[in-house]
Amino acid sequence: MTITVNGQKRQVASAPETPLLYVLRNELGIMSPKFGCGLAQCGACSVLLGDAEIRSCVTPVSAVASANKEVTTVEGLPARWARQQGTAAEGAALHPVQEAWIAQQVPQCGYCQYGMMIKATELLEQNPTPSDDDIRAAFTTSGPSAHLCRCGSYAAILEGVRHAVTLLAKKDGSP
Amino acid sequence: MSDVDFRTTIHGAQLSRRRFLASGGALAIYASLAPHEAFAQAADVTTSLDPTRSLSWIEIRSDNTVQFRTGKCDFGQSSIYIAYPQIIAEELGVPLEAIRSIISGDTDRTPDGGGTFGLLRVNVVNLRKVAAYTREAILELAGRRFGVPRDQLTVSAGVVTGAGKSLTYGELVQGQDLKLVIPVRGNATDFAGLTVEGNPPLKPPSAYEIVGKPFKNPNITAKVKGETLWASDVKLPGMWHGRVIHPPTLGSTLVKAGRLDSTKFRDSRVIVQGNFVGVVAPDEWDVIRAARDVAAATEWTSWKGLPGHDRLFEHLREKVDWTAVPVVNGSANKGNPVASLGGAAKTLSASYQVPYLKHAPIGPAVAVADARADGSVTVHTNTQNPQFLRKALAIMLDTSVEKVVIRTYAGSGHYGRSNGGTAGAEDQAVLLSKAAGRPVRVQWMRAEDVQWSTQSSALASDIRIGLDQNGRIISYQSDHFGPPMQDDRLLGALLAGLPTMGVPAPGMPGPHQGELLVRDPWVYHTVANVAEFGHGTPQIGQHESPLTAGLRDHSMRTPIQFQQNFPREVAMTEAAALAGTDALQFRIDHTGEPRIKDILSRLRDASEWQTRPSPSPDASSSGDRIARGRGVSVIFRDNGFWACAAHVAVTPATGAVKVDRMTLVVDPGIVVNPLQLKRQVEAGCLMGVSIALHEEVRFDEGAVTASDWIGYPILKMAEAPEIRVVLVHRPETGVHGQGSETSNALAASAIASAVFDATGKPVRRLPLRPDIVKRAMSA
Repeated sequence: MTITVNGQKRQVASAPETPLLYVLRNELGIMSPKFGCGLAQCGACSVLLGDAEIRSCVTPVSAVASANKEVTTVEGLPARWARQQGTAAEGAALHPVQEAWIAQQVPQCGYCQYGMMIKATELLEQNPTPSDDDIRAAFTTSGPSAHLCRCGSYAAILEGVRHAVTLLAKKDGSP
Repeated sequence: MSDVDFRTTIHGAQLSRRRFLASGGALAIYASLAPHEAFAQAADVTTSLDPTRSLSWIEIRSDNTVQFRTGKCDFGQSSIYIAYPQIIAEELGVPLEAIRSIISGDTDRTPDGGGTFGLLRVNVVNLRKVAAYTREAILELAGRRFGVPRDQLTVSAGVVTGAGKSLTYGELVQGQDLKLVIPVRGNATDFAGLTVEGNPPLKPPSAYEIVGKPFKNPNITAKVKGETLWASDVKLPGMWHGRVIHPPTLGSTLVKAGRLDSTKFRDSRVIVQGNFVGVVAPDEWDVIRAARDVAAATEWTSWKGLPGHDRLFEHLREKVDWTAVPVVNGSANKGNPVASLGGAAKTLSASYQVPYLKHAPIGPAVAVADARADGSVTVHTNTQNPQFLRKALAIMLDTSVEKVVIRTYAGSGHYGRSNGGTAGAEDQAVLLSKAAGRPVRVQWMRAEDVQWSTQSSALASDIRIGLDQNGRIISYQSDHFGPPMQDDRLLGALLAGLPTMGVPAPGMPGPHQGELLVRDPWVYHTVANVAEFGHGTPQIGQHESPLTAGLRDHSMRTPIQFQQNFPREVAMTEAAALAGTDALQFRIDHTGEPRIKDILSRLRDASEWQTRPSPSPDASSSGDRIARGRGVSVIFRDNGFWACAAHVAVTPATGAVKVDRMTLVVDPGIVVNPLQLKRQVEAGCLMGVSIALHEEVRFDEGAVTASDWIGYPILKMAEAPEIRVVLVHRPETGVHGQGSETSNALAASAIASAVFDATGKPVRRLPLRPDIVKRAMSA
């Protein structure tokens, strides 16, 4: 099987029913998606398949291969952003969501934050000017489950997404 | 080997210089385990510049950079990677940017040991002293170079000036091998690790320039970029994956282990030792499926020895023999509360319940162990107390601690679960690695982390308050009933029948507290008659379980204090209502502590508190109309004073509680980093809201029945209220305040008080779940 991850075509030897999470982490060495529950209940393993968040812990790699869409993880966010801006993907600067996460010092332990940044990216690509209610809904009801943070960083995440919105507005040249 | 060319004593620390080096040079700081003899011993060491030497605490290098080491671990609360650098740079007299390298948690590469708790309450004293000794040694070196006494030198931003000359710290150590041996007591493998002795001169907080500023945490940048190596990411050459098949109940023993279909799972193996059953395989997905198959075919005895969560508090009240464990008296006890209650004009007598709670990390327990043929073991994991884990593993393996190394990594927060070493998987990885003869990674699945980890134990409390004619408290009595909260035994060792640390029991040394301590410091100093008692008992099911397991407990954020503060603060709100006084003013009237009066008056403003007695004039305990209310709570913890106001909306007909706003005022003494503290306070508060609204461990007569995030729900983002945080910086206290977890403890009592204000009905049992609130409405 072949899947495209973060702009690269990758050969996969794992059994077809293996969840994408284990293929990314154990075969391809892409470590940002984290194991949280294996049940699509927490969002720690979220990645983008095309433009949509999926839970890699319950998605067989064969389904990803046949979907014929690119997988993006947090490692691939800078290049994804560069492509969208039409700039060089090589050595690209951080994605605005990552920049915002640093500016707002969003993570506590940080284990859930890879999934959180994926969810934020999905939201902002669909709606670059979300309201606070849009943001809360995105992280609570838009996916297979809410994205859970045990440390309680939800207030920081809200501010992180708001900050990313301002960065996007600046980068678009809008007022 | 050249000889030491000078030695001198500075504030009780021994500074020595060895050969001149052709290049480089450093001043390295070591702990002296036997203060009066170690200097001679240390002189035998041939080099102090090896960066892997475990005992160098701080190193000043000739390029003006600084490295420090700590046996504590980072769990994301920013202490290790930004608060500590600020504190050390401040005390050393170097710019923050000079601190380039931090080594944390690895037992073979850090000097001090001790648990990752109270980082700014306890360990900060060690760090400041180590840094102060180092600065004084630098001054000694400068004094020798400049030919003037130390007290005629000044330090600024890593430069020493005196007698018209200036040199940087790097220049002062250039070309030399300098060693500073400082006095300490204790052992690295003690629960609390080493304590630095002596009294080197500390910088007065009034002169602080780095502490108190909102620096960003560089560790967050690495995490956000995806550059951090997490414990769950560790891969070793030849490593296999392991899964453990835990018994179906907390007391079942093994009848027959299931077999593995080797045609289906190439190379997989079942490993059995006593009641410990594990599966190893080269591939992780294979081992997950193989373990499921083996689990289905494994036979266990049945066991019942728990009361079930529905009958827990009845069990605590009626079945437990509370005379078996000595009663603990509160330190604030005074006067004659019984007689004064008899003479009270009005009395409140009420019982409160806090259920079992889970640490519930997003990442289940994980560890990679490499048990080698020579009997040495290295474990890669995230733990709050690596040296104590090391000791526990040495006990299990019947070997010396020298044979065991713990390497630590970033990990999912688990909030106290591993402050005595184990989070659950480490010893299991060791057992599987030993049996498999290769490195093995054990990753608990979600169900195991819910069902086989330790939990924060339940507490039942009886409170009696007597008021005089004027509505002032003349008598306060509390009796707290519950099991202890510090089971550091290794689960794999329990299952395998191997030696482990002692069971939590009365009289156990160290952290194993069989007695229930009174842990919530009393803050209402004007009350003349106070009696607080802690009534302890063995863990529920521990003696009944053939595995001596049962409901194993462990401290979790503000342990025991949260469970005791909840009844006290809700009872204070109810007593204020009985007195016809505003609940916030009632607290001001009863505390003698000016800093509590100050935070409460700030809270009144910041939260837009409406001053009036509870219940609200619009209070309603029935119907669909939303009832709004506000509640307040106060706590003193880790030298810090905290107050919280909750504003809530209750739908009496359904029992639904929505938290609209949480306001917190924090006076921790010195605010080390306001940006990081604010984030910690917000996050801790939301974990507290989660505990208040949702959390209770469900169990039947044999096992924890919850197995996932549906069975043990936590707060979701849409439920997160607005949070306001006010930080009160008090450098004059000289105390570096502890942050983070205290805000956890305040939320539930403030929210329950607000529900009482909104409805006129007290809800005295957590969580404030619709079914429980609804029941209280019709009581």
